[in-house]
Amino acid sequence: MAYEFDWSSIPGALPFLLEGLGVSLKITVTALVVGMVWGTVLAVMRLSPIAPLRWFAAGYVNLFRAVPLVMVLLWFFLVIPQLLTQWLGLSPATDVRLTSALIGFALFESAYYAEIVRAGIQSVPKGQMAAATALGLSRGQAMRLVILPQALRNMVPLLLTQAIVLFQDTSLVYVSALADFFGAAYKVGDRDGRLVEMLLFAGAVYFVLCFSLSRLVQRLQARSAAHAAAL
Amino acid sequence: MIQIDKVSKHYGVFQVLTDCSTTVSQGEVVVVCGPSGSGKSTLIKCVNGLEPFQAGRILVDGISVGDPKTQLSKLRSRVGMVFQHFELFPHLSIIDNLSLAQVHVLSRSKDEAVAKGMALLDRVGLKAHAAKSPGQLSGGQQQRVAIARALCMDPIVMLFDEPTSALDPEMVGEVLDVMTELAQEGMTMMCVTHEMGFARRVADRVIFMDAGKVVEDRAKDAFFDHPESPRVQQFLARILNH
Repeated sequence: MAYEFDWSSIPGALPFLLEGLGVSLKITVTALVVGMVWGTVLAVMRLSPIAPLRWFAAGYVNLFRAVPLVMVLLWFFLVIPQLLTQWLGLSPATDVRLTSALIGFALFESAYYAEIVRAGIQSVPKGQMAAATALGLSRGQAMRLVILPQALRNMVPLLLTQAIVLFQDTSLVYVSALADFFGAAYKVGDRDGRLVEMLLFAGAVYFVLCFSLSRLVQRLQARSAAHAAAL
Repeated sequence: MIQIDKVSKHYGVFQVLTDCSTTVSQGEVVVVCGPSGSGKSTLIKCVNGLEPFQAGRILVDGISVGDPKTQLSKLRSRVGMVFQHFELFPHLSIIDNLSLAQVHVLSRSKDEAVAKGMALLDRVGLKAHAAKSPGQLSGGQQQRVAIARALCMDPIVMLFDEPTSALDPEMVGEVLDVMTELAQEGMTMMCVTHEMGFARRVADRVIFMDAGKVVEDRAKDAFFDHPESPRVQQFLARILNH
């Protein structure tokens, strides 16, 4: 007997689903912003002539890139709430799942962004640093004013692609029962016995969002390639 | 102005410079020539500390380049350098290229820096291009901007590392003209170049390097007319033919 699709769960559940989408986007944007900032700092540390900075950055990046995201999230979900309630004296019933998810994602993504930014920095021709320092700019000034602007410009397609991956990865907060978009869809499907339809719907929404973003990235790449070829 | 005393440098087991010594007095124009791999670019990069060296001493206006206590960025702000591949900052407009270091190193106000930049652009004949980005300029124009950028810092000496080697033959002249004018105005210059015509016209002294050593270091006329070393004689015979 063929499966009978029943999409009736969706309209009524839309507010709840939208709330979930809001959570997904909140996590994505936070992890993106913190990831970019902390990732850039890590990348610069990784390339620093000061050995302890190099070692710390390398250790951090290697650690977070060698363990599964789901494990990091669970670890933060299990540990952070305890720490937070202890330090801030919150009642044990406080829901700190979102906070632990935000922290976990931000720290995890930073490692990936650090590698992208590092590749970007190293893709800037070495003569640029020579020219900048020959003018008397310190290494730090040269990084900030000459190298990083070029590095980040070169890396925009990769940074955006990583953002798309990050958005999909937010579905992993499922393991802490935090209701992001995927979790919300699952809950509705579970409650109404219409899991297949809900998951298909959720998949379609992810697809539309991520595919549109990746097309935008492709257009950006084509435009900067044309720009470079015209020079 | 520049004093190079028995400078040696190695990269691992590879000896790049051996016991190189020379001086450049104020207002002198010294050309450094020689085959590829002779160490001439490396030597000139040692003068402003872009390349470290293991032995010997370099003094620029009395300040020791190799001394760890020397504030290199301050020294470099007084030594202008022009690179073979121009190395303009592609993400900045031409005028921003010229004002960046003035503002952040010399602490000039933005207006002062822009005024100085425009004046120097005018001097190299490129005032109309101030708002463009480097990618929109030809090689010769970019190199003239690079020279202007270095001059914005009011350097006491200018170092040139093969400034015309990456240019189309037709554009070499416009860059050499700027350098010639600079020399005639009394700038102390040390140029690594293959342009022997330029050396003949403008240099006070010519240094020939081969395999990391200074082979000959003489006044211009003596160098071209009565070279002592057979290696230099061979070099001159080969290149002056075309």
